[in-house]
Amino acid sequence: MAASNSLRDWSAMRRLVWLPLLVGMFMAVRPARAANNCPWMSETTASSLLGGDATGVYVAGTERQPASCTFTQAMSQGERSLQITVQVVGDPQARLAQAELTCGTEPAPMHAIGNEAIFCTGDESQGQRSERAVGRVRDQVFAITFVTSVKDDSVLTREALKARIYTASEQVAGNLF
Amino acid sequence: MNRMKAKASVWLVLLLAAGLGTKPGVWAQQQQQNAAPLPTPPAYTPPPAGAAPAEDTPAQREALAAMKAKNEEKVEADRQAHNAKVTPAYNFHYGKKNPFLPGNVQVAGEQFLEPGAFPTAEYCAHCHQEAYTQWRQALHSNAFRTPFYRTSVNILIRDQTRGISFARHCDSCHNPIAVVGGGLTEDPKVDRSKIDSDGLTCMTCHSVVGIDSTNGNSSVKIGVPAVMVDEQGNRIPGEVPFQEILRHPERHSKAVMHDFLHTPEFCAACHKANLPATLNDYKFIRAFTAYDEWQQSKFSQRNPLTFYTTSFKPCQGCHMQRNPVTHIDYGAKEGTFASHRWLAGNTAVPFYYGYDEQLQKTIEFLRSGNYLNVDIFALRKQGEDKMIAPLGRASFSLAPSDVVETYVVIQNKNIGHSLIPEVRDLYEAWTEFTVKDAAGNEIYHSGYLKPDGMLEPRAHSFTNRPVTDEGDFVDNHKVWTIHSVAYDNTVQAGRSVLVRYQFRIPANITGPISVTAKVNYRHLRQSYLNNIFGKDHPAYPVVEIASRTRVLNIGENLPEAPDEADNPDWMRWNNLGIALLDQFQYAESVAAFTEVIKLRHDYVDAYTNVGLTEIVWEKYDSARTAIRRALTLDPNNARALYYDGLLQRRAGNTEQEISDFKRVVEMFPQSRDARRELGITYYQQNDEHNALEQFEALQRIDPDDLTAHYNLSILYRRMGRKDKAADQQAMFIDKKVDPGAPTYSLNFLRVHPEISTESIPWHMHSDPATSDGGVEHGGK
Repeated sequence: MAASNSLRDWSAMRRLVWLPLLVGMFMAVRPARAANNCPWMSETTASSLLGGDATGVYVAGTERQPASCTFTQAMSQGERSLQITVQVVGDPQARLAQAELTCGTEPAPMHAIGNEAIFCTGDESQGQRSERAVGRVRDQVFAITFVTSVKDDSVLTREALKARIYTASEQVAGNLF
Repeated sequence: MNRMKAKASVWLVLLLAAGLGTKPGVWAQQQQQNAAPLPTPPAYTPPPAGAAPAEDTPAQREALAAMKAKNEEKVEADRQAHNAKVTPAYNFHYGKKNPFLPGNVQVAGEQFLEPGAFPTAEYCAHCHQEAYTQWRQALHSNAFRTPFYRTSVNILIRDQTRGISFARHCDSCHNPIAVVGGGLTEDPKVDRSKIDSDGLTCMTCHSVVGIDSTNGNSSVKIGVPAVMVDEQGNRIPGEVPFQEILRHPERHSKAVMHDFLHTPEFCAACHKANLPATLNDYKFIRAFTAYDEWQQSKFSQRNPLTFYTTSFKPCQGCHMQRNPVTHIDYGAKEGTFASHRWLAGNTAVPFYYGYDEQLQKTIEFLRSGNYLNVDIFALRKQGEDKMIAPLGRASFSLAPSDVVETYVVIQNKNIGHSLIPEVRDLYEAWTEFTVKDAAGNEIYHSGYLKPDGMLEPRAHSFTNRPVTDEGDFVDNHKVWTIHSVAYDNTVQAGRSVLVRYQFRIPANITGPISVTAKVNYRHLRQSYLNNIFGKDHPAYPVVEIASRTRVLNIGENLPEAPDEADNPDWMRWNNLGIALLDQFQYAESVAAFTEVIKLRHDYVDAYTNVGLTEIVWEKYDSARTAIRRALTLDPNNARALYYDGLLQRRAGNTEQEISDFKRVVEMFPQSRDARRELGITYYQQNDEHNALEQFEALQRIDPDDLTAHYNLSILYRRMGRKDKAADQQAMFIDKKVDPGAPTYSLNFLRVHPEISTESIPWHMHSDPATSDGGVEHGGK
């Protein structure tokens, strides 16, 4: 019974094959809300990590540009954001080593995330506090960046950012496997 | 080639000796990454043993009632709000009434449970630091997040014709809070950040309020989480202050420690799985069933037909042994606590996360318990019929250039389930067999790891090969594509397997040769690890579970004293007989069991073993003699009575047949075999009432028994119960093996000659490629 239902569903889907093409063309010219599209993290999860309701934008990757999801929580005191980028590369180890060079003075290994991952040195300058991590799953190199411009942000403290970027990395790497 | 093999072996030894390849300092760091610091426990002085529960004052009663009302209101409001958010976007692929299919999990009430209603593991850790510390490193807490799981479930999620709603089948066990919270849908409104990391958290199992069936696929009912009940036994949802729990630990127990948690049926909820048509668009396929394997083992004491007997031991008896506590845990009894590490075979998860304590304990566990016995039992020289057996007892001589066949008997001695259990397409256990000269030079080697980490394909492995309808190996655990199994070389609990190796003694040999057989285990198969990480991952641990070495002289060999771990001679012969029976070598099997009789005239099972082999061999007259002898020695022996029942049926002695089976059922009311045969007997006698009773009882023991489905469908129809008849008929058709499925297996075996002999029970391992150790013919 279930089998025949599923087969019927499948036939209906085949008739609608043009629909994703149209949607795809639409997406190519206009960024979509991340809620339905971000393959690596849901908007609800991102909101939880940022500490409040966030909206997301997913931009598909190109040959030169990584795909990205950007979640933003805008408030009167400032803005918190979480950006995820993912790119499939031919030489993932080399690319990760390259990324490590831009990781500040004290990059640290992040264990049990993907094949390998690195905590970058946190940054606190120009009225912003940020935390970044880079890593890879097979040949997919990812970068995750938290930024808060909220002055003395009591939610995204330095310590909280460290914990949350680990959780975010686990989410992203988990979905990349 | 030999050098490469040797290098692989050295690497293996180093890996084992070094504690598996990563620096301890790094492991310590990794642990810090994955474990939150333990919270400060609340002050607590346990009441004296046997003290009556504390009496509440009226004020305390009032306060508790107020807290209960407040918690109920909050939990209900949160649940409503959660459902208002989740339900509109949820993909009810299987209809509104089946939100969790293809998983079997159910919840109290009609709606999704709000994930925040589950008290966190950190909350529990205040008083249960031992349990928390162990759980964090154990498989249950890591049931979802590991790459080993994510890789396969992600394939299902990304599958164009299926998608995330189908993943409820897997996540019902691997991430049940995400499932019952409504998180498995294309546009989830559930925060996954915490629940994904915690997998099966404390309050997953401890919120289960009932076991729905032993069908598996998470066949439990999860209640609104509660850590305490009130004086009347009503559940108080949500977290409560620790002092309330500590004042009334008995009420805490009543909320979270249901009796069924101690039963194997609780484990069955997830350690039994099938692939339903709702997942694969094909039909029911049994995936794995550790629970049934246990039930059929000697440890359950429910099956009279086991080859050996022992005292009752449930799953928890091995996997949740009580150990002295090393952290504060208010649930400890006399300084011990039931292990929440659930030690078993998974070395991959602790290796990946750097949980070195869990890893070491897992390795110790695998090597403990006398789980396996490896017996280099016999030799047979080419051109000679005589078997030299049992080794260590028999005198014999060997000469240079002799071609020698070695019988290695591997007994699944004390595992309460098969070797390997569960997803044996991913796990890897195999026999490594080496022959070396006195200088340590390799003469013959089977079961080595190649330099790329892959197990050589001709090794004897205890794995299986599920295949698609194209006959392709399902390499990536895409279980929904499985249509058949090309071979399954698992060894069931209590049974033995005979692995035969043939090698040539070098012509120029001067000293003795040493022959070693080992059973190794790796979690997981190298090609699956490659699928997960690519090929550039560290080597995953290989654990030697059991081994045996014998030194053979060139020239005369005399009897020698047995090793401490060796089985007694009668058991060695018995195990050979069991192995030969399973390989359809009936004459040799009877001969082996007859050797047991020679050594133990009083051993009833030896006669029964001869009898049952002859029944299978269709030599009923001699079978009768053997079974009669068994029953003369022990007229109440259930095992002998069962086989006597079969023989009485054959002889047309229906009264005696019924009497035999009834006696077995009286002694073993949960014997599925006895119930089945008694049901058939009644059915053949047109005794529909009694037949129905037996088949219904059988179905309660094993809900998938085909004989029960088939006969119940007929019996119900005759009784006018058409709906029930139709249900049974449908289940019979769904669960019956597709008669076309073996074709898919043959497609696979045809294109994989290097492995196809593994599908033949009676096969030989030799190495025709090696000029020195190879033999002219008969090799695989």
